[in-house]
Amino acid sequence: MPRWLRLVVVAGIAALVVVLGLAFRHDPQDIKTGTVGKPAAAFTLQKLDGSGPLTVTPGDGKVVVINFFASWCIPCKQENPALVRMYERYRSSPDVVFVGVLYQDSLESGLAYVRDNGVTWSTVNDDQGRVAFQFGVFGIPETYFIGPDGVIAGRHIGPIDEQTLATGIDDLRAKAKR
Amino acid sequence: MTWADLGSSALRAALPLAIWGCAAAAYAAAKRDGRALSSARWAALLTFVLVSLAVFAMEGALVTHDFTIAYVARNNARETPMFFTVISLWAALEGSILLWTLILAGATTYVAWRGTRDLPRLGTTALAVLLGMLGFFLILVTTPAADPFIRTDPPADGLGPNPLLQNHPLMALHPPLLYLGYVLTSIPFAYAIASLILGESGDRWLVATRRSALISWALLGVGIVAGSWWSYAVLGWGGYWAWDPVENAAIMPWLTATAYLHSVMVEEKRRLLRTWNLSLVVATFALTILGTFLTRSGVVNSVHAFTQSAIGPLLLGYLVAIIVLSLGLLLWRMPRLVDAGEIGAPLSREAVFLFQNVVFVAATLTVLLGTLYPLIAEAISGAQLSIGRPYFDTVEVPLALALLFLMGIGPQLPWHGASRATLERQFTWPVVAAAAGAAIALLTGLASAFAVLTYALGAFVAATVVQEFARGVRARHVLHGENAGTALANLLRRNGRRYGGYVVHLGIVVVAVAVATSQAGEIQVEKTLSPGQTVAAGPYVVTLDALRNASEPQRDLLVADLTITGSGANEHLHPALAFYPNATQAVGSPGIAAGSRNDIYTILAAYDSRAKAWATIRVLVIPLVSWLWVGGLIVGLGAVIAALPPPRRRLVAAPAAVTAPGTAAGGE
Amino acid sequence: MNAMKRHPRVLIAMAIVAVALAVGWSARPQPETSAERVDRITSELRCVVCQGLSVKDSPAESARQMRDLVVQRVAEGKTDQQIVDEFRASYGDWVVLTPPLVSWGGLVWLVPFAALIAGVAVALRRMRSSPQTLPEPPPAELAALRERVAREEALDLPITEGR
Repeated sequence: MPRWLRLVVVAGIAALVVVLGLAFRHDPQDIKTGTVGKPAAAFTLQKLDGSGPLTVTPGDGKVVVINFFASWCIPCKQENPALVRMYERYRSSPDVVFVGVLYQDSLESGLAYVRDNGVTWSTVNDDQGRVAFQFGVFGIPETYFIGPDGVIAGRHIGPIDEQTLATGIDDLRAKAKR
Repeated sequence: MTWADLGSSALRAALPLAIWGCAAAAYAAAKRDGRALSSARWAALLTFVLVSLAVFAMEGALVTHDFTIAYVARNNARETPMFFTVISLWAALEGSILLWTLILAGATTYVAWRGTRDLPRLGTTALAVLLGMLGFFLILVTTPAADPFIRTDPPADGLGPNPLLQNHPLMALHPPLLYLGYVLTSIPFAYAIASLILGESGDRWLVATRRSALISWALLGVGIVAGSWWSYAVLGWGGYWAWDPVENAAIMPWLTATAYLHSVMVEEKRRLLRTWNLSLVVATFALTILGTFLTRSGVVNSVHAFTQSAIGPLLLGYLVAIIVLSLGLLLWRMPRLVDAGEIGAPLSREAVFLFQNVVFVAATLTVLLGTLYPLIAEAISGAQLSIGRPYFDTVEVPLALALLFLMGIGPQLPWHGASRATLERQFTWPVVAAAAGAAIALLTGLASAFAVLTYALGAFVAATVVQEFARGVRARHVLHGENAGTALANLLRRNGRRYGGYVVHLGIVVVAVAVATSQAGEIQVEKTLSPGQTVAAGPYVVTLDALRNASEPQRDLLVADLTITGSGANEHLHPALAFYPNATQAVGSPGIAAGSRNDIYTILAAYDSRAKAWATIRVLVIPLVSWLWVGGLIVGLGAVIAALPPPRRRLVAAPAAVTAPGTAAGGE
Repeated sequence: MNAMKRHPRVLIAMAIVAVALAVGWSARPQPETSAERVDRITSELRCVVCQGLSVKDSPAESARQMRDLVVQRVAEGKTDQQIVDEFRASYGDWVVLTPPLVSWGGLVWLVPFAALIAGVAVALRRMRSSPQTLPEPPPAELAALRERVAREEALDLPITEGR
């Protein structure tokens, strides 16, 4: 075996081992979406309660919290109480908007879920999955924070808690004041 | 005594025994001490008995739903059917490592009692290596990394196996076959390492492990086909191979093992490629451990990946130790591994084997790099990338076609080099058959160039095989006056290695044709239907008769009743969505009508949950896909023929067609 | 037939030409229907809720919605690049199943071919060029090798008790 080939083999194997070792640092579930840090597009969807369309126009100076949910999603039920409490806290603030987007679910089941779980913020039906696509949703629950400037500031995968919600909202409001 | 006590104490008793046996075997080999060897043998046997006892305890715990054991609580439920309860042994990480340990202990015991008799020093050294590896696996199953008997607060009912794993009877076959294949690569590896440690210049290790290499290769291959059959029947997308990391992990050692089985012949006949063969054996074994690491450590995302555990770093350490040790030994002993002579001309059998080896290794590197590249990219730049089927298909399909071509010419060429007359004699009819194969592909309407080429090369290879059999039969007829049937049987029995090999080649041709046809000729339609409505798919008409709920003890189902008519078909299929109590999403269960020409594959993709007024049905018509499993069986059959020992020759024997095995050195 | 048997070379050449024609004919460029275009584009995109399946292959709801999107974009007359870019904008490079040819991604394409070429080159270098009979290795060398192997193997006496 020529010397260079020997070196190539040894170097290749060493590189392989280093890569495998480094791989422990990464979590295969953690996939970055392409949309964080970019402006969010406006969208219009029908409301679940049948009261007509709702248009969300990011960048109009409000902090928008968009939560993707479905009735078949068990972690969504887990995170719901936190959402309910935080919605109550910011309900009186005109600069904070909560929107629930029903993801891959039937209108009826979604409506029942909303009623049973005390969801009182605006909920809309993404029946084509286009809004979820625009935001880069992988699996629900996912929650997006849009700043007053209309830029998607952050994304939370999996069930969210009150602390994360409050920090996400307050940071964006503080930034807007500055 | 509980099942947990029995199992964990058996494993804890086995660990020191294996370590003792390893030391005793090493001492026996070094000092030629018979008592130490005897002690190592008994240690191996006892370890095997104890691990069997632990497996028995696990099965007992599963069958009696003993939820005090965390593994049982997580992977079994009272409603789980008995069949799936029994095979839950390999439904998750700890149990599968336990099964692995059992197989390794069995292989070790075999070497301890059989291998050390024929080749005492080499076999005993190999036994020490095997017992060392067994010790490692026993450490895994006795530490929290993969202890199958960890106790827990018993819940009222367990979670039940992963829904995907309790959906199909092939789960009983596919993992054990693969594990057997994986673990049996340890035997050639252990002998190779032993040979390097002892500094032998001969190739006794290779002759001694020829059969176990062949068997492990065949089990791996059949296990891979069984796995693709399972994913075809269960995963519900109508495909059988997705270049998923776990599939890649299984195919890599199979590729290098295939290369090895061929280059071994070059070493046996021509005393060449010694270092290369040792490297292939080491690579095959290291790739089985790499595959285990990839699938058990949670670093890659995959259908089959088990949950993350502390086992990752341990397996990585084991892999590094194996690579460093083998590579070090190889480099140290390389001066002794001289080849006798040179390789023949580019048109000799050994040269084709060499080219074939190059292609196999390139194919393996491609799979390895493609599987790991997302990890590499993320480690270097933090970028998240995907590498999937388009990449692997683009690179691997041409390599596979090249291999098909080499498979046709290799066995037809003589060693050393071929004359023009030989070439004409060997290849005239096969090349004509290739043209016929291409014509058949065009006439049956296959539009893809790859498919046409596959048919041509498949016909080429098949014709060479038929030509070989015809010549062999004719020779026996002339020499011994045997009729065709007897002559064929005798060819397979007396020269199984060669003619069994041809049978394997035929099986590969069947697989290649099945893959090419099913890929190129697949028809896919999808339509939302109300009950009573129909959709046309190729020559067939699919009618949605009804949507209904069904209930089984362990799950609820939503079933679509379909009737398939047209083109002589009259089938009732029932694709369904299954809802398991502990799974968030429904699991699709396809309805398949398998046929020798077409498989009709139906999927219930979506449905109206409220009124059951409509369902979206996806229909795939997949030609010749059943022949893929048949091809796998033929490959297995050929391997069995090749592995069977030839009948003992009487003193006045027929002209010897093979060189006697066991002649270790020297030229022809 | 007999003429053919006498001139196998002609027959071989004709058959090879026939195979080449058949393959060439099936590889001829054909106009792509929009359904084929959708299949091709979706087979390059990764289903976001699956484990490595493409949007084309996946039976998942989310993949079906993405197929619908691609169908719509194709009907709108968007180019392949525009469609893929729209997916990339939402899901990053992760959503494309084929590594790009540029920068590090090129390595994945390069290595298989480099390995193949290097391997064939090394193999060819080890081969002799003249096709006829092989000279046996020098007898002395061969004998020495045989003797060494025999010596080593003679060491391998049965390990018996009481030795």
